[in-house]
Amino acid sequence: MIPYVNEYDTPNCNTLAETAKKSIRTPESLGLDRCIQCGACTASCPAARFSDYSPRQIVKKVLENDHSVLESKMIWSCFYCYSCNVRCPRNNSPVTIVQVLRQMAINEGIGVEKLAYFLEIGEYLAENGASKVPETGIRNMEKDLGERWIGIKRNLGSTRSEMGLSSRDFRNTNGEVQAILESTGYFEREKWIKIKIEEKRIHGFVKTNYSDKDKKNGEFGFESDRKYTGQEAITV
Amino acid sequence: MTDGTTEGLNKAAVFICHCSGNISEHVDIDTVKKTLKAEGISVYDYEYLCSSQGQALIKNKIIEGHLDRVVIGSCTPSKHGTLFKKCVQEAGLNRAGLEIANLREQCAWVHPDRAGATEKALSLLKAKLKRLENVEPLEDIKVDIVQQALVIGGGIAGITAALNLADNGIPTFLVEKDSSIGGQMAKIGKIFSPDKLAEECAMCSLSPLMNEVAAHPKITLLTWTEVENLSGSAGNFTVRLKKKPRYVKDNCTACGRCSRVCPVLVEDEFNCGYMDKKAISLRFSQSVPKVYCIDPNHCLQLNGETCGKCAAACKNGAIDFSQKEEIIELNVGAVIVATGFEEYDASQKPQYGYGIFENVMTQMELARVLGINGPTKGELLRVSDFSKASSDPAPATCDSRCESSSNDSCAETPKRIVMIQCVGSRDEKEGGNRYCSRYCCMAALKHASLIKKRYPETEITICYIDVRAFGFYENYYRAVQETGVNFVRGRPAEVIEKPDKSLVVRVEDTLNQKIKELPADLVVLSAAMIPSPGTKKIASVLNLSQDESGFIKEKHSKLKPVDSSLDGIFVCGTAQSPKDVTDTIAQSGLAAVRARAFITDSPKTLDNEIATINQLLCTRCGGCLKCPFDALSLNESGRVVLDPLICTGCGYCTELCKEGAVKVAGFTKPQLKAEIEGVLEEGDMLGFVNSGIASLTCDNIGNSVLTYPSNVKLIRVPTSLVVDIDLVMHAFRHGASSVLFVEDPPDNPRAEAIYPLAVRHFEKLKEKLGDSGNRIHFKKAYVPNIKGLAGTFTSLAREGEMIK
Amino acid sequence: MKAIESIPDRKLLLFKSCMVGQEYPGVETATRYVFDRLGIDYCVNDEQSCCTGIGHYTDIFEGLTTAAIAARNFAVARKCGYPNITCLCSTCYAVNKEACELLNTNAEVRDKVNSIFKEKGFDDLVYEKGDMDSRTNFYHAVEILLSKVGQIKEAKKFDFSGVKAASHHACHYYKVKYLDVVGSPENPQLIDTIAEACGASPVRWYEDRTLTCGMGFSQLHLNKNTSLQVTKTKLDSLQRAGVELMLHMCPNCHIQYDRYQPVIEKEFGVKYDMVHMNIAQFVALSMGADPYKVCGFQTHSVPLEGFLEKTGIL
Repeated sequence: MIPYVNEYDTPNCNTLAETAKKSIRTPESLGLDRCIQCGACTASCPAARFSDYSPRQIVKKVLENDHSVLESKMIWSCFYCYSCNVRCPRNNSPVTIVQVLRQMAINEGIGVEKLAYFLEIGEYLAENGASKVPETGIRNMEKDLGERWIGIKRNLGSTRSEMGLSSRDFRNTNGEVQAILESTGYFEREKWIKIKIEEKRIHGFVKTNYSDKDKKNGEFGFESDRKYTGQEAITV
Repeated sequence: MTDGTTEGLNKAAVFICHCSGNISEHVDIDTVKKTLKAEGISVYDYEYLCSSQGQALIKNKIIEGHLDRVVIGSCTPSKHGTLFKKCVQEAGLNRAGLEIANLREQCAWVHPDRAGATEKALSLLKAKLKRLENVEPLEDIKVDIVQQALVIGGGIAGITAALNLADNGIPTFLVEKDSSIGGQMAKIGKIFSPDKLAEECAMCSLSPLMNEVAAHPKITLLTWTEVENLSGSAGNFTVRLKKKPRYVKDNCTACGRCSRVCPVLVEDEFNCGYMDKKAISLRFSQSVPKVYCIDPNHCLQLNGETCGKCAAACKNGAIDFSQKEEIIELNVGAVIVATGFEEYDASQKPQYGYGIFENVMTQMELARVLGINGPTKGELLRVSDFSKASSDPAPATCDSRCESSSNDSCAETPKRIVMIQCVGSRDEKEGGNRYCSRYCCMAALKHASLIKKRYPETEITICYIDVRAFGFYENYYRAVQETGVNFVRGRPAEVIEKPDKSLVVRVEDTLNQKIKELPADLVVLSAAMIPSPGTKKIASVLNLSQDESGFIKEKHSKLKPVDSSLDGIFVCGTAQSPKDVTDTIAQSGLAAVRARAFITDSPKTLDNEIATINQLLCTRCGGCLKCPFDALSLNESGRVVLDPLICTGCGYCTELCKEGAVKVAGFTKPQLKAEIEGVLEEGDMLGFVNSGIASLTCDNIGNSVLTYPSNVKLIRVPTSLVVDIDLVMHAFRHGASSVLFVEDPPDNPRAEAIYPLAVRHFEKLKEKLGDSGNRIHFKKAYVPNIKGLAGTFTSLAREGEMIK
Repeated sequence: MKAIESIPDRKLLLFKSCMVGQEYPGVETATRYVFDRLGIDYCVNDEQSCCTGIGHYTDIFEGLTTAAIAARNFAVARKCGYPNITCLCSTCYAVNKEACELLNTNAEVRDKVNSIFKEKGFDDLVYEKGDMDSRTNFYHAVEILLSKVGQIKEAKKFDFSGVKAASHHACHYYKVKYLDVVGSPENPQLIDTIAEACGASPVRWYEDRTLTCGMGFSQLHLNKNTSLQVTKTKLDSLQRAGVELMLHMCPNCHIQYDRYQPVIEKEFGVKYDMVHMNIAQFVALSMGADPYKVCGFQTHSVPLEGFLEKTGIL
């Protein structure tokens, strides 16, 4: 099945760098070509501080047009906190480049299992005009946050009413949001992603944790990357 | 020998140069000679007209034949125009009587077809002859230059420039806004040098120069003085200066009694803001002039309180509270701007903690700390330990921005120092500067080396992106590496302060992909060099071009590196761009030479032909005053007058003047019409070429062995602005199939002003021409773009042939 | 840099936040309470949808979907005559501002979005270039509060003097569109300045001040360990700095600090002496608002009663 490739997020270009520059996810004046590998991004990065993530190395791979970066688990560790964006002395923006790389990976069916957790956000938005934490997330939060939070959530309607709000954060989008998601191709793509996830499940690619430490794909060839095992994933 | 048609030409002659085959191999000179002779014109040819024999031939023929008009067919006038002009003038001919036809670069070298080249050569020579029929003698324009110079700024750049000018006999005024000359170099203690691995004492180099300035009979030193205004024009500037009152007379012996009794402590700008100065003080102990100065903002007496302790202590009666501000006016021929830099305000990068954590300082502040005359008398201390400096007298207190310091009783030398490079340099973010500041790598190495020598146990780490130890400085870099300084390649993210005031620098060591947290007792920021407030102020007072960062822009980075955008005003040192002491001194010497050359060439004969105003036709409507260079103005009696030193002869005023009262000498309408008539054949493409870069580009087509058809005819004009609709129609009537304007690209100050005018002029012409508008074209000619230009020539010429 | 004088107090669309609505409704009510008392001309419109931020930053929405949803919300704002979109959530702020810039500068995206609207018969949603200005039509509620800091100071009813308060400025407010921040994007001081006006003593600088809260969109769910490690690092720094009150401006940060502080305490065996609230809740308290009916503190995970008793509100 041919994936729905979004030409705006991941325009088809000769190189990763060209795609990153032309993508609407990155700023228009992206300083990617001007990168001097100074490491200000990595030194400023929370993911780099607490894991082996490195925005600088990702940018290097992009500039080298090394497609193995799409298969690297590293790209899924970014917090999207934009610290690299605000610090880069060359006006490069690793955080937005990573967004493009994740989209490209998804187009190739890589990392789609990461999306399984969140996919219902789209349908919920179409229906309600609002977003919410996905069900799996809620179950995990219930586990972590315990009775107090469960109680808060249970009483939310009456709490809201007492505060003079509608019992539920109601949005009236006249079906427009649903129609927009249909027309932008969102549902088409969602369907494709779901099939891909299913395929992977059948082939046993979706695991509860990443034990395939010796996997060659996406290896950066640096000592630090070989040690990178990714984070424990939550059951999908 | 004469007939009716050539009546006017009986005193004209044509000289053709073979250029050792360069011309003669492509142009049949015999045919040319025969044809011209048949028309009754004297023609001479010679192997090399530019040789002394060739020039002798020209001179002899002028004298023998009482010639008053000469056409030389040779290489481009850009090459030997000046030589031939001098040659004919020596034979008594007015320079208006000389025309040069470019038979080499724009004929022989670009037209491989011999018949075509010969025919074109003939038309070029005839056109020049025709042009000469309307010749009027041109007067030499000479201007007197005032024989003295002004240098603004008394740092190492200004001192060097002033001494060089004065040593060359030019009376020079040196103006300095502070109470002493010496500038930033006086602050930095030690200087690095490309050829020595040791650091030199800055003051030992600077102090003798400062004293020489003070003692030089040709230098008038004006300290505590600022430039208010500049008027007049190159060669004759009027400068208004404001001399602030020192409240201390020149009979001060600098004994220092006044300062010792002064009760007011003030922030010391010289010592980077540390509170260690009195309200009456010398800027530093080697100040020149060695006369104390009272800070009017902090002196009690001057602020309405009764004090006068200094006056009582002074044994010479030098204190004078009644001094007033003085306005001084000077006339000078040339100005050198040497107003220097200031250090970037590192608090604009809060992530590095400057201004937040007290033990973060800049390299300039570290230089003061290491300086023997600095706040700790040369002892290396953290700012939080300044109050514990062991030296006497009165220990310096810490900077006002700092809070209280820890209460350990003995001051400790910082054990771990981290230096951060490129703070505010190589930084595209808001508040940063894109350029490399050029001196900071070396300054960091110098300070690391100094500290390592005095405190070998200190651990020093320099965080860098690239170490730019250019040229011989690499030797120094190597020597510093050997002292055990650590280098980490990475731009730090941030500086963190721990509760005990120790610091941590977070950086990725990009060479081993590890994030490091470097502990430090002291963090030193290598802050960028930015134009000083004085540099920015002077640029606006003098109306000089600046670059995007505010540095004063030179005319051409290679060929005119110290000429500002205005004639007669030169720039050097860090006012022009970031640089170190060595480069500053070298550049300042050049600025002095350029200024001296400008001044001593007096009376100055102008090279270029400029505008002239026919006062009989002028209605004083003021239309021409829109001159982009402000060369035209109304004098007291309401007449339009031209400043010959400012006029570039661009001809924009000829377009502005509705009465035809303004013309550019040598390029009058009758002259251009004559040349058009002479040069054109049916179906020719006619190019009007700007005599600057555009002409060079056209010549370069020939130099590069490219070709274009021989029905391309080019006429040199000052700029395309002198070509009006009348001339274009004239060209069409005389057979031009198309007209092309070739203009200089806007990449020097003159062309930047002209180019947009030329584009607009062209668009207006096109509109006025209506249907014929598509027969005129415009091309910007960059010197390297010869292929493009030759291509345009060819395609337009082909079109012309088709029409024919 | 955004000039404080340029911040409007008229025609503000208070942009509803999904996370505020579902987790901390008191942020919305407190903001409205304060806005009402500051005489700000604003409205809330139920037709406004989610900005797509949660889906956008968990990579499930592509840029085109986000741009189209944003264009629709811009039309909602314009149609009701309140075009100054004022967000409670920093991600709404960043997403809307970026989408506006994209719609203004990228004709291809704009045409595509408009063709979708036309095809569906939503002609009133069509976005023309320049309908909104990415620099002057988008604000965060905290900016509005900052512009009224004088009035906030005057309206003070409680004495918070001596309260050591630290701010956490939201990454998506100052690190995404860093040229449009009030003050330096390396050291934003909006919350601190407002807190000071309410009488608190702001801890203007502490270690890791600019570190993200750790939520990281998918990170909290897929890389929980790292996510909570980041949060813990920040809480540790605040604890060392002696902070008792942490003020935020974004419901995502709010969830991360307030909901997960007890989790971190349990998992890592630590104890923190600080409570959390949104700066609007703090300003409302200072103006005399009810801690529960207006500020909605009953929906917080870290109990605020101790703090409220200490400051004499309870």
